[in-house]
Amino acid sequence: MLRTLLLVARQEARLLLADRTLWIISALFVAIVGYGLFNGVKQAALKETALASVLQAQMRGEQTRRALLGRILHEGALPDPFANPADPSVMGGGYGGRYAYMPISPLAPLAFGQSDIRPDYYKVTNRSKINFLYDTEIENPWNLLSGHFDLSFVIVYLFPLLIFALSYNFLSAEREHGTLKMLLSQGIALPHLVAGKIAVRAAVLLAWAVIVPLVAVTILRPEARSAEYLGPLASWCAFVVAYAAIWFALAFTVNALGRSSATNALILIGAWIVCVLILPVVLNVVVSVASPVPSRTELATRTRLVTGEALTRYATLLSTDYQYVDNPELSRPQNGRIAIAGRMRGSYLMERDVDEQLEGLLDAFNRQLAGQQQLISRYGAISPAIVAYEGLTAVAGTGVRRHLQFQRQIDEFHRRWCTFFDPKIQEGIAISEADLDSMPAFVSNEEDRSVMRTSVVTGLLQLLVPAIALALFGGWRLRRYSVV
Amino acid sequence: MVTTIARKDLQLLFRDGRLPWAGGVVLVLLATALLVGWERRAEISTERAAAQLLDYDDWVAQPERHPHNAAHQGMHVFKPDPALSVLDPGIDPYVGSTIWLRAHLQSELTFMPAQDATGLQRFGELSPAWVLQILGPLLVIVLGFDAFSSERELGTLRQTLSLGITSRQLFLGKALGQAMAVGVLLGPAAVIAALATFAGSGAAIGDIAARLGWLFLGYSLYVAAAVFIVLAVSAIVRSSRLALVALLGIWIATTLLAPRAASDLSRVWYPSPTRLAFNAALGADMGHVAEEVWQENFGLSTQWSPELPLDKWGLALQVDDHAGYGVMDRHFAELWDTFAAQQRAQEWLGLVAPVLAVRAFSMGVAATDFSHYRDFSLAAERHRRVLQDVVSADLVKNADPRGTGHFDYRAGTDLWQHVPPFQYTPPSVAWAVGHTMRSFGVLLATLLASLAAALFAVSARRAA
Repeated sequence: MLRTLLLVARQEARLLLADRTLWIISALFVAIVGYGLFNGVKQAALKETALASVLQAQMRGEQTRRALLGRILHEGALPDPFANPADPSVMGGGYGGRYAYMPISPLAPLAFGQSDIRPDYYKVTNRSKINFLYDTEIENPWNLLSGHFDLSFVIVYLFPLLIFALSYNFLSAEREHGTLKMLLSQGIALPHLVAGKIAVRAAVLLAWAVIVPLVAVTILRPEARSAEYLGPLASWCAFVVAYAAIWFALAFTVNALGRSSATNALILIGAWIVCVLILPVVLNVVVSVASPVPSRTELATRTRLVTGEALTRYATLLSTDYQYVDNPELSRPQNGRIAIAGRMRGSYLMERDVDEQLEGLLDAFNRQLAGQQQLISRYGAISPAIVAYEGLTAVAGTGVRRHLQFQRQIDEFHRRWCTFFDPKIQEGIAISEADLDSMPAFVSNEEDRSVMRTSVVTGLLQLLVPAIALALFGGWRLRRYSVV
Repeated sequence: MVTTIARKDLQLLFRDGRLPWAGGVVLVLLATALLVGWERRAEISTERAAAQLLDYDDWVAQPERHPHNAAHQGMHVFKPDPALSVLDPGIDPYVGSTIWLRAHLQSELTFMPAQDATGLQRFGELSPAWVLQILGPLLVIVLGFDAFSSERELGTLRQTLSLGITSRQLFLGKALGQAMAVGVLLGPAAVIAALATFAGSGAAIGDIAARLGWLFLGYSLYVAAAVFIVLAVSAIVRSSRLALVALLGIWIATTLLAPRAASDLSRVWYPSPTRLAFNAALGADMGHVAEEVWQENFGLSTQWSPELPLDKWGLALQVDDHAGYGVMDRHFAELWDTFAAQQRAQEWLGLVAPVLAVRAFSMGVAATDFSHYRDFSLAAERHRRVLQDVVSADLVKNADPRGTGHFDYRAGTDLWQHVPPFQYTPPSVAWAVGHTMRSFGVLLATLLASLAAALFAVSARRAA
């Protein structure tokens, strides 16, 4: 049996090569895969440079602040009141704030995902999160609307079309040309013939779809070669293979129905339009209705109201004048204590209250978005394109789930940051050199591996189960296939 | 004769089920999109209008406080949702709608809806515009790919031409047939869409009607160009099968690939800065200018240094703000000009991929394109400066003379009322249409080119 298969496959490969179709399709595919990868690599490099320069600037800033604090404490230097590293109300704010960041995954070149609208870093201060949580990257909205030509676009949208181009008529054409009868009269069983034909096509296309990106990513991003990324890389390949499997299964089943080549092409294109173009757009509407996020207008209104209330609550503190103007010495710590300007304390308390009062509403946004994501995990199976897109972006580390996880870490870091400075601001305790070492630092945590594993397995099953079902149906139809 | 051919083609399309089926799917999607858009607008527009009113009421009713604190709380302004966003939300999912006007810095639109959505958002936004722009040409292909080729395959083309009908008459008949088929579907849909746009919209009827008229014209040019391209291919290609494959290839390349490739190209031609670079450049320039004016006005090299007496704080705030205005204007104008240049380049690429031209035209007329957002952002920033100026002038007049009691000073309703409510009048139809003339021209050129191609194809290829 294996010999027959190999024979068919070798013969098929020879035919395809002679036909030039394979050459043209391979060249086209490699070109678009290469272009998609090029864009992905460029974007990831850009993001990495930005993140590196942010962290470098932070390091330089911290060195400057440390040096200045030393001069204040040991040489009696007089700092600027709004750039005073000894003053916790200044250090906890914009002057000393630290970045929370999400490391760029080595697999990021494989999918843009959300990386063009959600920043990978935020400067966390003791101000309310509403002040920094809604920053966005700069990108022309027109271009965001168009989408990117990245590898996930190539795989999700274009890969099925190339599969169709090679397979829409692999059986029907033989029948239409009258060669099928001849082939079967040689003692080759129809299932063997079909298997051999599909194997050659799948081998060629998958070689380009999997090997080119794998080679490129492991060469250009050496971190991707580490053991830690072996799993994600394998998952990425598995998603591409499973996604191809479902479209090959469809092409096979359609051929097994025994219609004409033209009808096959129409059915396949129709299925592609429904699965890739229409269903994702419709499901997007459905999940946003089923798990709606609260109103942003309401958030704006509430922010204004709670800010107004806090202004009134701390009116007395806010009305105090900056004493340092008359008495610059106040900017210098004395016996570990420092005079916190009333206005600075008032501003901090105001921000603290605003943050507390908005917390519930801000959480609701992330909760509802996570709800939408869950609905997609469950119902995304209606279209292989949805499952593949979600899987590919998740594995590349640019999906919504990783960003939501990052947001939770920011929340936690913000809380730690505020807790560190709160007593110091309230009680007027100056920042010491030891404090500079114990100040909260952001440590990025990746999501639990088991969660990732479960989602990869679920996604793969959502692709493979229908692929197998389709193939079984196709196999059943093949038994009733009329060769004339 | 032309109408006879058209009627016959239309009848065939009905009989073989293509028109009811393919058209039905498109209609269902259009209806769903319209319903979704209508619901969304109904919710958003009342909410935003109410929030805008409340915002000003709260501003005026706020208790006595130091004016600079009041400016820190500031005001929120909400971009009114244009009536035609029901039909074409344009760039809405990718820009915020709220601006918080506060002291010191120009604020940008926040709360991008795409941030509140999952990755599926990137597959597209279900709207009537999306259906027409992406699926419209596909519908035309499905209806017309075999208009000439099937007649050639069946041998009826030879018979028809032998009756003395010129190929041009035949072409006109076929084109009319296709137009009627699309018209049968989209005509009623257009009427329903128009009614949905009027219903529940507070805008002037004349304004909406004019926009709808332009929109209808724009999409008619787009669909007509698609019809001519389909007929040209159907006439020149040997078989219906090949015609279908070629047309689907063209459709995928021009509606799905081209927009993405075009945005890449436009970024290469007109690179936009990263957030980091933009903020760094803005910050650096603000710093330089501030240094100059502080030196010039107060003889100080650092802002807010202890050497600035408290009776100069109001003045310093005013000087500082005014120095920043020009810098912010320059940086934002440069950024927005880059966006505009990127879009302009892509509109020209509409000559190859008409979807780019019709998209620009449609969102321009619907008032959901970038130029409208820019207009709103500028209006909001002007208002922020009014607020700032009122506050600073009051501080100079009333707080500065108090010396060390500067922050003791409190202003009340009299001052708050000096800041007028934010009233934004969106640009007129004429402005909107004027801004979309380029894409309209590109659409027109595409139409003429496709007509010429079709005429050439029909006369070049006879019955053989």
